[in-house]
Amino acid sequence: MQKPLDDAYYRLLCELQTADFVLVELSLFLDTHPQDMEALRQFNQFEQKRQQLAAQYELQYGPLLQFGHSFSRYPFQWVETPWPWQV
Amino acid sequence: MMLTNQIRCWQPFIGPFDPCKPMLVKTFVTPPNLFIPFQPPRLPQFPPYEALQKGTLWPLFFSPYDCRQQ
Repeated sequence: MQKPLDDAYYRLLCELQTADFVLVELSLFLDTHPQDMEALRQFNQFEQKRQQLAAQYELQYGPLLQFGHSFSRYPFQWVETPWPWQV
Repeated sequence: MMLTNQIRCWQPFIGPFDPCKPMLVKTFVTPPNLFIPFQPPRLPQFPPYEALQKGTLWPLFFSPYDCRQQ
């Protein structure tokens, strides 16, 4: 079954990328500023938002990651293409 | 000749026996993180999507990497 790569799919993936990028920047910042309360609060906010986005994506379009980092429906969805990095 | 405040240039030595056409001026980028030893806390931030576009979360560290015009 070919996944419907519609506009909503790309928008959701883009939001996920945005949240991931902010998390990368904040974690690098927190490496050198562990006492910064505000950055930590923002980091946790984005982490929560990222989990919601990932759950929403996986509910509609299948697993994001392999090797037990994502749920999968029957039959095993990881076999189908496209994979998230191919789109 | 300075294009933007982050691009600096220098004139390489041109000798009479250079095999190829000499480059009169060469440029290099000096991003802001060279001049900020330790990042201060509570810096202003880009909105998330724009941060993804610009490649950094903080406008202070943004370094435009635009293509050369020649």
